[in-house]
Amino acid sequence: MGKVWVVARHEYATNVRRTGFLIFTFGVPLIGLALLVVTSLFSGQVGGFVEGQFAGGEEDLKVGVVDESGQFTPLMPDYRGRFELFADRESGREALRGGSVDRLLVIPGDYLESGRVRVVSANGESSGTVDIGLESAGIYDFLVDHLLRYRADAELRDRVADPFRPVEVSLDGEAGDGFAAGFFSYILGILLVMTIFISAGYLLQGVSKEKTSRIVEIIISSITPRQLLIGKIVGFGALGLTQVLIWFGSFFVLGLASTVALSISGDTPLTAILGRPEVFLLALVYYVLGFLVYAVIIGSVGALGTSMQESQQLSGVFSIIAAVPIFFAGIVLSNPDATLVRFFSYVPLTAPTMMLLRVPQGGVPILDIVISIAGLLVTAAAVLWAGNRVFRLGLLMYGQRPSLKQVLQTLRRG
Amino acid sequence: MSSVGPALEVRSLTKRYDGVTAVNDLSFEVHEGEIFGLLGPNGSGKTTTIRTIMDIFRPDSGEVSVLGEPPGRSRARIGYMPEERGLYDNLKVMEVLVYLARLKGLSGSVARRRSGDLLERFDLADRATDKVNSLSGGLRQKLQFVVCLVHDPDLLILDEPFNALDPINVALFGEIIRELQSAGKTVILSSHQLNLVEALCDRIVLINHGEAVLYGPLTEIKRRHSPDAVRVVTPDHLDEELPGVGRVEERNGGYVVTLEDGAGPQDLLRGLVGRGVSVEAFEVVSLPLEEIFVSVVRGGGDG
Repeated sequence: MGKVWVVARHEYATNVRRTGFLIFTFGVPLIGLALLVVTSLFSGQVGGFVEGQFAGGEEDLKVGVVDESGQFTPLMPDYRGRFELFADRESGREALRGGSVDRLLVIPGDYLESGRVRVVSANGESSGTVDIGLESAGIYDFLVDHLLRYRADAELRDRVADPFRPVEVSLDGEAGDGFAAGFFSYILGILLVMTIFISAGYLLQGVSKEKTSRIVEIIISSITPRQLLIGKIVGFGALGLTQVLIWFGSFFVLGLASTVALSISGDTPLTAILGRPEVFLLALVYYVLGFLVYAVIIGSVGALGTSMQESQQLSGVFSIIAAVPIFFAGIVLSNPDATLVRFFSYVPLTAPTMMLLRVPQGGVPILDIVISIAGLLVTAAAVLWAGNRVFRLGLLMYGQRPSLKQVLQTLRRG
Repeated sequence: MSSVGPALEVRSLTKRYDGVTAVNDLSFEVHEGEIFGLLGPNGSGKTTTIRTIMDIFRPDSGEVSVLGEPPGRSRARIGYMPEERGLYDNLKVMEVLVYLARLKGLSGSVARRRSGDLLERFDLADRATDKVNSLSGGLRQKLQFVVCLVHDPDLLILDEPFNALDPINVALFGEIIRELQSAGKTVILSSHQLNLVEALCDRIVLINHGEAVLYGPLTEIKRRHSPDAVRVVTPDHLDEELPGVGRVEERNGGYVVTLEDGAGPQDLLRGLVGRGVSVEAFEVVSLPLEEIFVSVVRGGGDG
């Protein structure tokens, strides 16, 4: 066990500092952060957050008001500072030309009937609502506020200014499981699957390098092939797990940040998943079992190749099988109980991928979880038994790739 | 620490690949504390034999016992320098050494200390933090030697240690191999460069096409295959009139005297002294191992 540990630690320590690994590990949370910022900017739920963060510049427009309707004049003191009242259009235009205001809002006498206002800016005049800076100038809120001044309380006025924030819920879904949440879970599943294959790919590269450089002769003169294989699996498994845990961690931080930043008490795609710790627990279980099965297969089959390319080709078949569920992701999202989906959950070689896609969506029947985990446990044991023999054969083979017949003989001899 | 019996015992070892017999019924023993030469031309089966000893291959038939145990049992007591040399190119020299030493069961601190000492001995101390791929071929070979010594093994198996090595490093390696012997280690040298190893070896087995053609103490083999000739340097004139002398040739400022059957060098020396010949040098001519090998192979076996 001591030497397995030495191998595991060595593989972990030398691979954790790989540039590719670092970029991928920290790139994902960074992309998540970027997405969060972008979505909050465009979601219309920005409220005080954005104004607070991005105050200044165009957002701080000063607006001159010419009230020909007479409806707004009495309320102007409340808006002192940003809105300045002018007696007529001429004096307003004068101020605009002089630069003491950025926009001139002209409210005609027939405003209540027509809803028409004129917004004059220094380089043009607009009577619509398309002018730049209208929203941020707060004109919309200004008008709504005044219209409802004596007819509604503050809460109602806010609601009229921002009438609805949609949260989609499907009939059989759990609370907050809208499409956005589904999509988010889907991305999470894909990322986990990718991690498995990236770590297993590193393992394959390492095995191939040790084999082609023949350093394996020195290693095998110190430890058994079995110790080497298990050490590598533990080391690279821990490497992938590190990545996953960093992502989970940043997931929580981002989730918290979005809740705070958007001042939302309800569900966002992120918080919807955060509220279900069993998702993370199950994801970890499938991650570990999936990695075990794939890494042993990829490592030992890859050891049969005489070059990196040949090794990748040999193990590529298994990666493709494992990726099959991703092609059916659409079905997983729209119809999680489809026979096809359940079928792939039971087949051990596709189960980790399929379950990593399904689990974050929620509502997976216990039966499916039990069958898939049991199948994976049995498969992991079988694969370890066979992989160990194939690994030894492949590692020590010189020059040529062992034939299928030799591989089968090795397995039979046991 | 010392085991009962020989350091290595190979009995009737046979190994075939795809119908080709690489090693055929090979037997030999290596005694504890000696430098043993596993010699033969390229492709004669040396490396296959070594890989069987190292438990990399399993023999088709025959038995191997290493330090009194079957192959693969006493890994920590063996230092192995394979013929095909590879190391982790992207790691630092010290990292590679410590990792490989820990695989042999050393603790981290002992591994670092031993590695440091050996790097010093091999003049590599200033490269400890360099990456392996920055080392030249000769330095890498030194590093390989350090790897195989780092865990202080009792038995060293060096496969073609002098390949691609410059004369200075050949001398250094030879010196260290002798040091190891005086420290009580057993060393097996595998090589096709007979001229480089014959000065080092106590006993040898010389194999050709997977079979032993010469086996035993090197001095005995040399004596057995010496051409019954003596080199004599003298200012006087020598001729065939001497007792027991078949032929006299002048060569390189001396004489090569070929003895008749039944006559020994002592008879000649006595004769020379008796006649008052002033002898400046007198030595029994011995053939280089290479020539013995060629003549034995041509003659069809150990005569």
